[in-house]
Amino acid sequence: MHATPSPPGRYRGRLGPALGVAGAVLTLWYLLARSGAVAPGLLPTPAQTAAALADSACSGALAADLGASLARAGQGFALGAVVGSALGFATGYLPRLSAAVTPLISFLRPIPAIALVPLATAWFGIGETAKRLLIAYAVLLAVWLYVHDGVSRVPVSHLRAARSLGAPLHRRFIEVLLPAAAPALLAALRYGASVALLALVAAELGGADSGLAYRLQVDGQFLRVDRMFAGLLVLGLLGVTIDLLLAAAGRRLVHWSTS
Amino acid sequence: MSLEVRLEGLSAHYGDTRVLDRTDLRLPAGSFTALLGPSGCGKSTVLNLVAGFVRASEGRVTAGSAPVRGPGPERGVVFQHYALFPWRTARGNVEFALKRLGLPRPERRRRALAALAEVGLADGAEKYPAQLSGGMQQRVALARALAAEPEVLLMDEPFGALDALTRTRMQHLLRALWQRRGTTVLFVTHDIDEALALAERVIVLGGTPGRILADHTVPAGSGDPDLRALIAHHLGSD
Ligand SMILES: Nc1ncnc2c1ncn2[C@@H]1O[C@H](COP(=O)(O)OP(=O)(O)O)[C@@H](O)[C@H]1O
Ligand SMILES: [Mg+2]
Repeated sequence: MHATPSPPGRYRGRLGPALGVAGAVLTLWYLLARSGAVAPGLLPTPAQTAAALADSACSGALAADLGASLARAGQGFALGAVVGSALGFATGYLPRLSAAVTPLISFLRPIPAIALVPLATAWFGIGETAKRLLIAYAVLLAVWLYVHDGVSRVPVSHLRAARSLGAPLHRRFIEVLLPAAAPALLAALRYGASVALLALVAAELGGADSGLAYRLQVDGQFLRVDRMFAGLLVLGLLGVTIDLLLAAAGRRLVHWSTS
Repeated sequence: MSLEVRLEGLSAHYGDTRVLDRTDLRLPAGSFTALLGPSGCGKSTVLNLVAGFVRASEGRVTAGSAPVRGPGPERGVVFQHYALFPWRTARGNVEFALKRLGLPRPERRRRALAALAEVGLADGAEKYPAQLSGGMQQRVALARALAAEPEVLLMDEPFGALDALTRTRMQHLLRALWQRRGTTVLFVTHDIDEALALAERVIVLGGTPGRILADHTVPAGSGDPDLRALIAHHLGSD
């Protein structure tokens, strides 16, 4: 059902072609913006975008928005990842519990986080709590599913071997289940981080007074396309950076995994 | 260091399907028994019952004087697909078995290396399972099982995935280890020649639900063509 994120290492040795594509896109963008094919004021040039970016960086607006967004996404992600992992381990390890809650997850999963914004606002107001909880909820569902899947695939023979070697429950959890599920856990966290960013944007568009997506909305009202481009660029770079960091951490932590 | 294992009126079900039918068997302490039969006849079920991984629906298993209620370190298990922990080195895998003993670290390390040396893998101690061949991985699994000093060793087609030459080498190694340690061994296989090469006694399991079709003592020196033919006959006639 769910697509597994590509294994860590997908960026390895692919920098050359990737830079080539980025250069081509930049060139096309530049040519398109200069050609006059797009109505004036709707497509900024790369230089205008860079200028808008530099502008918000110098004024301190970028740092403030980035800080507000990262705090929300980070806190929501942390809460969702912790609870989602715990649930994933519980339902992945206990088939009977899994049978009981799987229908519930199947029902909740297709409801996009953005559809919950009005409800979150009604319940918790437009403050930070509503945003954090919305992000946490979206991350929780994503992480739960991935971790559940990983834990339920841990080979029975690993757990049996540990039991017949006399390892008590806490050792079986820490020394067998946890490392055996670690590759899935890392995939879950990477996916969860991308979900956190999506939910962040949904939450900020639903009412905020700071943040990257809030800024996009304001810039949209003033038709500042150059600033909007700069904001989208920052969102994209943020996502890539987080994913690269998690992937690099993953490669170190699950060095034995060939996937 | 070995225990007698007894199966008394032992039956097993998966759902409503009976896969093992009121089976009695006594494995004397220190004996080497092969459990032979076609695939699906319930060999693994018997082994898993003795290991304590699966519960009997009727009857019971005893190891020594104690009834089996679950897995325990006095009954070591070697799995067909090794079941090594890929995040631990060969030494780390063996140390996992030794942790229970509460030894100081250097002693644990020393014993793990000794166990690996015993199975001829002194050089591979710091390698991860993925860096070892199938035969070497099964050596690590054997070292890990033996490091826990089990009194019964349960092996479920442990050499089934190995090439012929490696398999023969592992058989020699296992015979030597058994002769040195005198552990009670129950060895599951579907290969007559393997059963005859290794065991003092060959139990033929078959039928649906599974039951014991024949029980042969293998004379020392083996290679008896009549016995092989007889066992092949029992295997074919279920
Ligand atoms: N977990 C299980 N659930 C349902 N049926 C099983 C399970 N394990 C084994 N069986 C069935 O029980 C029978 C005996 O299986 P097994 O003991 O694995 O045989 P063997 O090891 O001789 O190949 C087979 O028919 C098999 O399909
Ligand atoms: Mg089997």
